[in-house]
Amino acid sequence: MAVSTRRLQKELADIKRDGTPVGITLLSAEDFATWYLSVEVLGNTVYEGEKFALKFRFDGQYPISAPAVQFVVDDTYQAPVHPHVYSNGHICASILGSEWSPVLSVVSVCVTIQSMLASCKKKERPPDNDRYVSHAPENPKKTRWDFHDDKYVPSSPRRSTVSVLTISRRSV
Amino acid sequence: MSQSFPGDALDDTPSRPLIAPLAPMLTLREEYVNGSQGFVKQIDYLISEGWIGVRRTRGDGDCFYRSLAFAYIENILNASDTMLAATGALSVLEASQPQLEQVGFQRLVFEDFYDCLAGLINQVISPGPDGQVLNINTLLEAFNNPEVSNSIVVYLRLLTSAEIKTNPEIAAFLIHPETGEQMDPESFCNNFVEAVGKEADHVQMNALATALKVNVNVAYLDGHDPQGKVSFVPFQNAPFTFLEPVNLLYRPGHYDILDRRDADPIPPLLVQ
Repeated sequence: MAVSTRRLQKELADIKRDGTPVGITLLSAEDFATWYLSVEVLGNTVYEGEKFALKFRFDGQYPISAPAVQFVVDDTYQAPVHPHVYSNGHICASILGSEWSPVLSVVSVCVTIQSMLASCKKKERPPDNDRYVSHAPENPKKTRWDFHDDKYVPSSPRRSTVSVLTISRRSV
Repeated sequence: MSQSFPGDALDDTPSRPLIAPLAPMLTLREEYVNGSQGFVKQIDYLISEGWIGVRRTRGDGDCFYRSLAFAYIENILNASDTMLAATGALSVLEASQPQLEQVGFQRLVFEDFYDCLAGLINQVISPGPDGQVLNINTLLEAFNNPEVSNSIVVYLRLLTSAEIKTNPEIAAFLIHPETGEQMDPESFCNNFVEAVGKEADHVQMNALATALKVNVNVAYLDGHDPQGKVSFVPFQNAPFTFLEPVNLLYRPGHYDILDRRDADPIPPLLVQ
């Protein structure tokens, strides 16, 4: 059994037994390749009343390699308007790239992204949104991001500071 | 800073095996003959001191952890009393699980990696799924299987992180490698220990040697010693160990395993 299947089975069993944190719901996990979860930001934030969906794609090396994570953009869901989220759903967050670690899980990624949204004060797209979206690869992991620092403090229990970084990138 | 995706290179056509069979030190010397004479002198010094073999590892940022893990298990395999060495190592590992939980890692995130490492050590003394006990060939095979090899590397990274977070003596040495600023254990470990592919420095090496209760000697090859000598830096934190120290060879940015033999032994079962 692939290491990814073994781990995802356990994550799924955990979710079924203990549930998910408030505001996060498992929409579907029909196989061990693609999962969907919805994320809502609680309380008084710029995203009040909005609901987003995250798509996770796993390769056979998960959790050693990072999952490909993006917001769903379709008839039902839109990507949140946020300085680190492109309108095609791609997210520029260091924990999905160079700071990915196998101690993170599907749920902890959702919690981190929920916190990233919760701390947003002003709804705006990344400055280079149109340029990026017109050339972006289908899989966000194929984008090589260059970062500038920008700290958020999420409520994620295991990572005290998660830097979510943005601005320029180049496609590879 | 450029973002890379840890683990993505795992499926690439390997330029070099994750861990290679033992080779004569002369093969490394040949690579420097037409280059830095400082390195050639130092390699000659190592050979003259009896370090005639090198086991090379892939330079993927995990080389310290992978080298140490391999040499550690090989030392158990070669111990005069393998039963004592393996049970000793397994009890150290067993005790490391609560330490990981204490710093906030869920069992869920580390148990598969733990099972992989403990299972391999257990196979030194009791036959594995193939009905065989471990020998040098099957150990090499396991370490060249990316799933097994990387799982072991990840466990050692988590163990290093747990040691850094729980050992107050280490806190003073948590320095950002680029800015030189003091860092708190949590962000140091997030950025420079737990992420796959991040190279280890003295702090990580010291922490891991302490956590595994294994003595480590690192020979530093930098090409700069005027006499062509090599300094060995000891990480000796295990006064009561049944195991021989692990000997590593450092060249700028990379770790390999240093050995007093120049070829792997032929496993007994294969000897006709």
